[in-house]
Amino acid sequence: MSPCFFCRQLAKPIQVRRIFKERRMNSKFFNPFKAKLESSRQDITGILLLLPSAVLALSFIIFPVLYNVWLGFYEKHSLMPTASLVGVKNYLFLLKDARFWNSFYLATYYTVVSTVLQIVLGIAGAMILHAHFRGRDFLRGVALFPYMVPTIIAIFVWRWLMNDMYGVIPYILNILHIPFMPAAWLAHSTIMYVLIFLSVWTFFPFVCVNILARLQTIPPELFEAAKVDGASAIQRFIHVTLPQLRNVLLIVVLLRGIWMFTKFEVPWLLGFGAGAGEGVRTMPVYTYQWAFTFYNAGMGAALSNIMFGLLLAGVTIYFIAFPRGQEE
Amino acid sequence: MESQSKILRVARAKNISIWSLRLGLFIYCIFPLYWMVVSSIKTGPELLAYPPTFVPHELSWGGYRKLFDETNFWTYFVNSIIISGTATVIVVILGAMAAYSLTRYQYRGREKIAKFLLLAYMFPPIVLIVPLFIFASSLGLTNSRVGVALSYISFSLPYAIWILRAFFQSLPVELEHAAWIDGATRGQGLFYVVIPLALPGIIATSIFTFIVAWNDFLFASVLISTDPLKTLPVGVNDFFHMAVVDWRLIMAAGVMITIPAVVFFVAVQQYLVEGWGAGGVKG
Repeated sequence: MSPCFFCRQLAKPIQVRRIFKERRMNSKFFNPFKAKLESSRQDITGILLLLPSAVLALSFIIFPVLYNVWLGFYEKHSLMPTASLVGVKNYLFLLKDARFWNSFYLATYYTVVSTVLQIVLGIAGAMILHAHFRGRDFLRGVALFPYMVPTIIAIFVWRWLMNDMYGVIPYILNILHIPFMPAAWLAHSTIMYVLIFLSVWTFFPFVCVNILARLQTIPPELFEAAKVDGASAIQRFIHVTLPQLRNVLLIVVLLRGIWMFTKFEVPWLLGFGAGAGEGVRTMPVYTYQWAFTFYNAGMGAALSNIMFGLLLAGVTIYFIAFPRGQEE
Repeated sequence: MESQSKILRVARAKNISIWSLRLGLFIYCIFPLYWMVVSSIKTGPELLAYPPTFVPHELSWGGYRKLFDETNFWTYFVNSIIISGTATVIVVILGAMAAYSLTRYQYRGREKIAKFLLLAYMFPPIVLIVPLFIFASSLGLTNSRVGVALSYISFSLPYAIWILRAFFQSLPVELEHAAWIDGATRGQGLFYVVIPLALPGIIATSIFTFIVAWNDFLFASVLISTDPLKTLPVGVNDFFHMAVVDWRLIMAAGVMITIPAVVFFVAVQQYLVEGWGAGGVKG
């Protein structure tokens, strides 16, 4: 056995192995977190692994956003390759367009009402599903069902439930003698209510699951302490549960708000399928109409840009108005 | 004595009210689906009877027979399976690669990428559909399964990477180091250590991707116009354009489309809740 190269002593193989082990552990190859920011073989592998996703995101998300800005200044038929520059004409047209302002109003109304209802129902559902009782896991599964049902099916079913002649919900409301019920729910003036019922039913489980996940991480001692101090159930909810839910609620309200404002399939399939589309022509529907019914891609792009701008502005204002607190 | 019975009465009233809330939630979530199933198996006259029957007196498979014999249902079904399945497999592979890269390698801009992922997750498809359609038609990707699958992949990837990244981050790097010391290569460490441990995340990701692709209407309706290539939601929506709307047929189609989504969902429910927790709350 030859002496060690460094210390000139005879080392047992096991010790040599340990020295090498330590040296390898401290090397960049084995401990990438210690590595400094510099290019090396490993870092290139990392970038290569990310590359396909990055290419897809660039070509199908980032490039379209930029292309859309360009497209908004052109008059272009959706199916023809030619385009002619018209400057801000598309935007000027929309500013004077009563249907545009109506679509803005409808989208806002739809967003506010349906988001508030989803949040209320979602919190209530999460509170129900948080308690311990027999069959809780089953009920949790059932409560997620509506979110998993394909949108198109949810619309089929609700159009059938609310059908003017054979619908079961008008029938039930009728035998309960609830006053001021419209004769036809899917008509121009009332279809917005159906849209809201349907959207709340479909999307409240999203709120429910997110709130539930947070509820499960609240330490039970907080409730115990409040209980010992004599707080009633309502007081415990307001002073213990809600502050704990603040951050989740901020994110959930933001996400639901964005997604409801830009929801296309639900109003489109419900409204235009039932022939009462004007009652639910929200901004996404109006965008789709310009681009794929009137084949005016430039106008469609201008509308998408306005929607995107509103979205960015909304998110910015939201974060300024409600800064995220520290997670307790 | 009396106060004790009063306490009991209050407790019972409380119990009843809580159980009625639970029952209410159950009925609210399940009734529309129950009604769909029941309507699909009623006979024609019973379907349109007044008052409606809550339990069918007589069963009939007419709606399903018509669906399978007289419509292109199976074509749409196969298209949907092919497109959603391909998109799911590719998203999981690319997503796992990207998430591994983001959590185990060091390079500039990783934090920015993570922020972009969340931004892309919020991004609504309707804002992009116009330029995407024009872009796709200039590449010749309209009326092809590839074009639709590619758009699903691009839209699901950010969220998939986000979930997988959270899962990979929660796994201690030391486990991999241990494997390397035992002589495993980086790839072996990934396949034998990281992926098995991140399996719940991978399953949750695949379910999300599958359901997003399976349920989508917008991309499929814009990018595909020939009937043999249509996916289920787009194809089935055409049933409303028939001369007489046949509700039994539509409800039968509804049941058939919902079943795959629900089967997947029930099979992996516990993973799903974990995935939601990781993806939705930590935002």
